[in-house]
Amino acid sequence: MRQVLEGSHAVSEAVRLAKVQVVSAYPITPQTHIMEAIAEFCANGKMNAKFICVESEHSAMASVIAASAAGVRTFTATSSHGLALMHELLHWASGARLPIVMAEVNRALAPGWNIWMDQTDSLSQRDTGWIQLYCEDSQEVLDTTLCAFKLAEAINLPVMVVLDAFFLSHTYEPVDVPEQNEVDKFLPPFLPRINIDMSNPCSLYQMAPPNFYMEMRYSIFRAMEETISKFLEVEEDFYKVFGRKYGILDSFQCDDAEIIIIAAGTTASTCRQVVLDLRETGEKVGLIKIKMFRPFPKKLISDALSNAKKIAVIDRNCSFGVGGIFAQEIKSALYKNKNMPTVFGYITGLGGRDVTPKMIEEIYFKTKEEHYPEKESIWFGINYELFRN
Amino acid sequence: MLLQKQFFGHESVMMLSKELLYISRSNISTEINKTGSWRFLTPIYQLKSSPCTEKCPLSQDISRIEMLVSKGKFKEAIDLILLENPFPSVCGHVCFHTCETACNRKSFDEPVGIHSIERFLGNIAIAEDYKLNIPIISFNGKNIAILGAGPSGLGAAYFMRILGYNCDVFEIKKEPGGLLRWGIPAYRLPDLVLRKEILRIESLGVKIHCNSKETVDSLKKSGKYDAIFIGCGYGKPVKMGIDGEDLAIDGLEFLYKIRNGENTDIGGHVAVIGGGNSAIDVSRSLIRIGATPIIFYRRRIEDMPAFKEEVEAANVEGVEIRELTKPIRIEKDSEGLVITLNNNNTFKAQHVIKAIGNEAENHWKLLLDSKENFSKFSRTVLVNNHLPIVLGGDLVNPVKSVADAIASGKQAAMVLDSFFNHREVTNSMDIYTGGDRKNRSKHITSIEEINLDYFEFSPRRDSEIEEAKRCFNCGICNDCDNCRIFCPEISVNFKDNKRSINLDYCKGCGICITECPRNAMGLREEA
Amino acid sequence: MNFSETEDIELMHPGHVGCPGCGAVIAMRLALKAMGEKIVLVIPACCWAVVSGPHPQFALKVPLLHTAFETSGAAASGLRAALDMKGDTETTVVVWAGDGGTFDIGFQSLSGAVERNEDFIYVCYDNEAYMNTGVQRSSSTPYGGQTTTTPELQWKKTRKKNIVESLSGHRISYAATASIAFPEDLIQKFKKAMNLKGCTRFLHVFASCPTGWRIPSELSVKIARLAVQTNIFPLYEVEDGINYTINYTGNKTVKEYLKLQGRFKQLSEKDTYEIQKMVDEDFLFLSQKVKLRR
Repeated sequence: MRQVLEGSHAVSEAVRLAKVQVVSAYPITPQTHIMEAIAEFCANGKMNAKFICVESEHSAMASVIAASAAGVRTFTATSSHGLALMHELLHWASGARLPIVMAEVNRALAPGWNIWMDQTDSLSQRDTGWIQLYCEDSQEVLDTTLCAFKLAEAINLPVMVVLDAFFLSHTYEPVDVPEQNEVDKFLPPFLPRINIDMSNPCSLYQMAPPNFYMEMRYSIFRAMEETISKFLEVEEDFYKVFGRKYGILDSFQCDDAEIIIIAAGTTASTCRQVVLDLRETGEKVGLIKIKMFRPFPKKLISDALSNAKKIAVIDRNCSFGVGGIFAQEIKSALYKNKNMPTVFGYITGLGGRDVTPKMIEEIYFKTKEEHYPEKESIWFGINYELFRN
Repeated sequence: MLLQKQFFGHESVMMLSKELLYISRSNISTEINKTGSWRFLTPIYQLKSSPCTEKCPLSQDISRIEMLVSKGKFKEAIDLILLENPFPSVCGHVCFHTCETACNRKSFDEPVGIHSIERFLGNIAIAEDYKLNIPIISFNGKNIAILGAGPSGLGAAYFMRILGYNCDVFEIKKEPGGLLRWGIPAYRLPDLVLRKEILRIESLGVKIHCNSKETVDSLKKSGKYDAIFIGCGYGKPVKMGIDGEDLAIDGLEFLYKIRNGENTDIGGHVAVIGGGNSAIDVSRSLIRIGATPIIFYRRRIEDMPAFKEEVEAANVEGVEIRELTKPIRIEKDSEGLVITLNNNNTFKAQHVIKAIGNEAENHWKLLLDSKENFSKFSRTVLVNNHLPIVLGGDLVNPVKSVADAIASGKQAAMVLDSFFNHREVTNSMDIYTGGDRKNRSKHITSIEEINLDYFEFSPRRDSEIEEAKRCFNCGICNDCDNCRIFCPEISVNFKDNKRSINLDYCKGCGICITECPRNAMGLREEA
Repeated sequence: MNFSETEDIELMHPGHVGCPGCGAVIAMRLALKAMGEKIVLVIPACCWAVVSGPHPQFALKVPLLHTAFETSGAAASGLRAALDMKGDTETTVVVWAGDGGTFDIGFQSLSGAVERNEDFIYVCYDNEAYMNTGVQRSSSTPYGGQTTTTPELQWKKTRKKNIVESLSGHRISYAATASIAFPEDLIQKFKKAMNLKGCTRFLHVFASCPTGWRIPSELSVKIARLAVQTNIFPLYEVEDGINYTINYTGNKTVKEYLKLQGRFKQLSEKDTYEIQKMVDEDFLFLSQKVKLRR
């Protein structure tokens, strides 16, 4: 049924439809609408789940880890500082190989306090062993959340569904909310591979000495490798029921593109319009939206960029001391390409600052005009006036 | 597939190879680690001796007896007594209970009432006509003659019979029991108790011949016996050596008449000389026939060798005791007797009874002075001129008491048996015959070795079970299970009512030893 | 005491790697006997996270879920929620955490869970320092105690945090102290906690540590007993945060407890006197609370 929903509630609806059994979350702007709606579903009987109102995000993750280890479908949501607080347990969840699904609303980290959109929070968790899926609109949020459960349960790794603060979380859009029976066709009840079995008492996550630990880590690495194909299978299943799919990457107008813009999240939507506008004027420009950041689809990216001359990566994040995180990863993915395109890394739109069509156009022309990037990371839109004494 | 099922619990999920899902999920028992190799000290179960047992002339296994009583295991307790003592009820009535003076509990609160528990058990055995349940060796072909059916003679007969000998006991008086029958008043030792306990001895096949005129010579001549035991006691009263001594009646003679149901014709004021149990027995017996006894004792009341309880009972019954007095002369006057005391005061009485003790008849003294083929033991003497003769009881015992007399009889049995079989003479029949106690350490547990944390201050109890629970059970295991309860290594096994240490895992922490309340464990250094 | 028939089962294997004389191992063994096999343990980082065995070994016969150091309260909440969703109301969730994971780093998640009145038993086995990491002070380390982070004359000059009182302040349904030296009392309290379903129950178990306290291993239980006998660690229960019961009144002086332990060897007569005063004051305060019973 088509409804007008904000992105947060698209998550909540998906969680309801996934028949999640244990939810645990702690309030943080701009995530709160997700958990409020779920709390309401639990209260009014639309969901048969336990909602644990924990005292921190750390405890939220700890409690869903334990619940998942006991063999039920679990969900939590957070953002920014909440995610940073969870950091230790993000490692735990993946090391424990638990199919937890989490909605993560991209928000900037303090200080100074900033509740607006920024990707650094999720991207700085890239080494925690979580699958990360970035969404562009509310429909994709809902669909990705549903797929996330199936993917997580297929490969026994936790999945983070990432959506932009406010641009997505608080923006109302028409969303097709599927019927329960359709969702049930796609997503069967959870059959856990890891479970606390009273008849066969085991110790779960026992101390692993050096002669075992490395193999456990290798197993996570291997599972991540398998995730690429598993995701495609899951999306195919989803497509069969709902007729929608998004892909690991979404290549838009790339076939003959000389310059390809790369973006994730809602920025990709803006880029899409800019690409169409520029095409009108005859520019050979394309867009690649990166949906899956972990595992990083290196091969797909290197293939998709094999004919481009220049790449403009829009990073709404920064790894201080290096640069934009998407740009780094893309450069590393291109390492073996025969025709290495020139990568322009733009850092912009941090802490909720708008990335307008005009800015993207400027980025395109700057990329087109410059033979080689002036700097490894180009901070775009800096108001140097503010530095005047 | 099977592996997958075990690993994940069910098969219906999408398969993931182990390479894709390898987690720390553990269920192999840690039993594969033999942590016993960490150990450098090894705990061992090592039962030890207790001070009460050490003090008991009969070496009764008191701490274990109390333990059994505390658990209501009266029959086992009675068996344990009968292993060392044929007279539980008699001793429970009349023994000095030196055990209690040695009791480790005395410095904690009060000693355990061992003798009242013994009496309790002895009375149960009598009331329930308890059948002896101790190992008795079948007749070995040797015959023993025993002169005197007092505690030492009956004791000797009992233990000799247990060791396989046929025993004939010859008693000059008309009934057996010796001093127990004739020297101790019935209010202290009821007839029935003595009779029943003697009957139990007879039930083993011991034959008691009363009104017997047999002598050592006649027995020797008969040629029927392989050995003789002499336990004829002290029949001759000790002399005071004062003028008019003949005017005094002998205490034992007086008690004999009472016990024989004779009319003593004694009444009015009666001076009783002495401070031992006989003096008290005489005095309390006098009260019972309506006379007024006054005890004259040469030392202070607290120095009296009589049992404290007996002295107190005498006091309650109205017996007057004059301490630091002794007669120096007894004279007759028109009204009765006049006793002149060491303080030059005089005292008028209808009768004087002296109860200052007895000694051996002369012919026994001669035998003891023979010196030839003579072996001296702690409670007996063995003279071997062609025929082994053992003297025991008061004749040779350093301490003259009922328990010592029985112990002397027991030692005589071992002395004679070892004469034939060459075994080591001890105080305990259990040890002599190679029973469990043989393995016990001789170390006597002191109060410092008791873990007092496990005992609460508690004065004596009326109930025997409750009283027995007060016992520290020094040096023996009472199945408190502390060793097993506290073991962090689950290394104390308990099977068929026996505990053992599993050395595969015991790390030698020593908690079991510290937490054994009663010093029944020990430590051995690892080689 | 003697084990009853139900207690006479071993839910623990020998061959674990606990130090000789480990009080925490004794505590676990006794607690398991009281609780039986229908439990799931949640264990955060602590000595027991190691004692339970390195993979693939396991020293226990009940399911165990390891969790991060500070998360026990939350993990137990999640586990309980999952069991409820699966319809398993028979199994009891039991947290088994050290003092660091309870008094310090885990206090927040514990407090949160107690405030939510989550349905599980939380057991803190208290060895009064971070023993697993090599004896560093925790907020459970008593006044006067030496650790590697309160060494020599820099011994801990602040009091031990009173965890039971903290939780009583949450109006927890049942909180009790227990000691390995009083197994009967300990087992009875664990059974009581097991029978109280549907609320958070807290058991504070005094578990001596020969290694960290610098005592001979054979004195492990004796020291634990002395802690009770001196009123340093009183045995008591609190129901609904206000109804207090003292189970044992000690009459020994703190000196008898302190003098046996290496961690207190530096204390002067005056320090000992100060500690006696504190202990007397605390016990008096506790006794006054008993009088306020409803």
